Amino acid sequence: MKIAVIGWELPPAFSGGLGVHTINLFGRLAGVMNIDVYVPAMKRLGKNYPFNVVPVRLQRGVIGNPYEIEGFPDFREAVDDYNLRVLERFDPHGVSLVHCHDWITFRAGEMIREKYGIPLVITFHSTERDRSGNFNPQADIMSLERDGARAADRIIAVSKFTRDEIIRDYGADPEKITVVHNGVDNEHYTMRPRTYEPTNRVLYLGRVTTQKGPRFFMEAAELVSQRMPDVRFVVAGTGDQYDEVRRLASELGISGKTDFTGFVSFRKSVDIYRSSDVFVLPAVSEPFGMTVIESMILGTPAIISKTTGVGEALRNVLRVDYWDTELIADYVESMLMFRSMRRIMGTMGQQEASRFTWEKAAIDTMGVYLSI
Amino acid sequence: MKSLVFYFQVHQPRRIRPYRRSEIGVRHDYFWDERNMEIMQRVAQKCYLPATRILLQEGIPASFSLSGVFLEQAAEYVPEVIDVFREYFRSGLGEIMSETYYHSLASIWNPREFREQVEEHRRLVQRLFGVNPVSFRNTELIYSDGISHEVRNMGFRNMITEGTDEIIAAHSPNFAYRSVSGLKLLFRNYRMSDDIAFRFSNPGWNDFPLFADKYAGWVAASPGDVTNVFMDYETFGEHQWKETGIFQFLKALPRELSSRGVEITTVDRAASENSDHGTVSVENPISWADTDRNLNAWLGNAMQNDAFNAMKTIDGDTDRKTWRLLQTSDHIYYMSVRNFADQDVHAYFNPYLSPYLAFIYYMAILDDMKKGRA
Repeated sequence: MKIAVIGWELPPAFSGGLGVHTINLFGRLAGVMNIDVYVPAMKRLGKNYPFNVVPVRLQRGVIGNPYEIEGFPDFREAVDDYNLRVLERFDPHGVSLVHCHDWITFRAGEMIREKYGIPLVITFHSTERDRSGNFNPQADIMSLERDGARAADRIIAVSKFTRDEIIRDYGADPEKITVVHNGVDNEHYTMRPRTYEPTNRVLYLGRVTTQKGPRFFMEAAELVSQRMPDVRFVVAGTGDQYDEVRRLASELGISGKTDFTGFVSFRKSVDIYRSSDVFVLPAVSEPFGMTVIESMILGTPAIISKTTGVGEALRNVLRVDYWDTELIADYVESMLMFRSMRRIMGTMGQQEASRFTWEKAAIDTMGVYLSI
Repeated sequence: MKSLVFYFQVHQPRRIRPYRRSEIGVRHDYFWDERNMEIMQRVAQKCYLPATRILLQEGIPASFSLSGVFLEQAAEYVPEVIDVFREYFRSGLGEIMSETYYHSLASIWNPREFREQVEEHRRLVQRLFGVNPVSFRNTELIYSDGISHEVRNMGFRNMITEGTDEIIAAHSPNFAYRSVSGLKLLFRNYRMSDDIAFRFSNPGWNDFPLFADKYAGWVAASPGDVTNVFMDYETFGEHQWKETGIFQFLKALPRELSSRGVEITTVDRAASENSDHGTVSVENPISWADTDRNLNAWLGNAMQNDAFNAMKTIDGDTDRKTWRLLQTSDHIYYMSVRNFADQDVHAYFNPYLSPYLAFIYYMAILDDMKKGRA
């Protein structure tokens, strides 16, 4: 069996979620099938990958960190150009199916399907609605997502939450959607046992964007600080709402109790997770929520919004409506007060999160391929 | 004559509602009235009313424990349930057993509290049914030599508990025994009990489907004087839905048993008609709960111990009734994390679907209690 994967980024050139996913999932599948991964040609691509990498040279637009240049006219132009170049460069010989990832690559898959009759699988890692935080989603991107959902023979969604969005927003046929949860690499995390002695630190970690709900974190923090004056709040990460959230902290009078760390490396994030009593993700719309799994694997209990996809598969978390800052504060306070609960939820959560493996994701993905 | 003893536990806790820490010092209503009413009404329709009518119609004897928290909620939400039980006990078929009013763990930490709660239950049973119980069953059959002394001192003559593997290795559960305190003691035959309570409707079980003739055959063929079949009353119609044929099974059982020379009887009659086969000592508390058959279902993790200890520190004099309602063992049972990750948690066994929420609500309520309410 040979699969053509249309990707967008690969570590080390980028280490966004999509690149990490591509390496982990297709690195494992490469053991049992031939895989070509198409990506835009980038200077910092590595030399050795577990699969065959097909760099595609772009002629228009600029390829940089997609998260930073999104919104520039060049970004869309680059995306359009990439999809056309992939079609040109595509080698259909022996390819059983094409697997595209997110709207950035859907068009190429549709064109290949049309031209060569090769079945198309697409994965939704997120939807435009998620990325916009439910606020003013871009119509043209939504229409790319809709077209992809209609054309594809099979759809993979990273959560049931995302599956439901695709059905609701794009009228996708539920029969052809399969949920495949992301995995996590256990070996990268230290599993040293924790004492769960209080650190009195409450953590927000992730991109500081509307989608992830950092303002709700700050509002809950303010309520907690009224009742527990010695608690500190940590906002780790950067994003387009960074200044806005700092301003909000100041307005709420908790700047002095909040540490804004800016961007944190993976290594640093491990320390931050482990030195916090509780992790909070009040995301407005989060298709999966990798940080939840990371936090749990490190033994830090998590409070997450009901609109965070991974929550549907977790028992050892507390779930809230993202806007219910009073309840978030209530749960944070309980977590800070009771070591017994931190310890049980932390250790049970560690075991639970360890079940999200890339091996399982690979097997489930294989099942989708074989169903065609 | 060989006999089968039916004992049924009837209990519904006053579940606490989702209580927020922001309500501490502001709101002092703790109980989830609408949910409690809804559950009582549902289980009454599915189990309490139809099952008790069958016992009456078919003339089936049984011993019952009806917790005080169950009785007060039945009287409040579905008074018909009290009527049908009254009719059943008046018929002379049934025995009412004694226990703590609150289905609490008082027996393991506070002898005075234990006695008072038993006394409170005795008064209620006397008032509702005009009966003074002579047999005792502790919450979820929790038992130890120490508890048996307390129970003996309160004037009871019989007690029942679990036939744990350790006990039945040396003592068949099919005889009556004597406790170190001098009570007549019956041990639950968990295999014969669970055949009905758990396995009855399991299509993967070798003996599925279980009909009354087959079951009666097992009872008749088993060695000893008595077969002690003890279970939750909710088995009939609630745990095992009526579609499983559980009611037909119950109706057919007396005939099938008597044709094989087995009579159905109560704890007190079985205890008085059968001489004891020696004395059995149980040093550490046992129970019929979970697979461990000890106290782990309630005190098996740090949250449960925190909650239990916090409850003990409440000044009971301020609002004794509420404090005692919070002693109902179900509250900390809901905080158990055993099998939590692996199994589907049914809302019936944990109304919050989360041991953490059970803990959070309970601790917040205790904090409100502690703040001292007017």
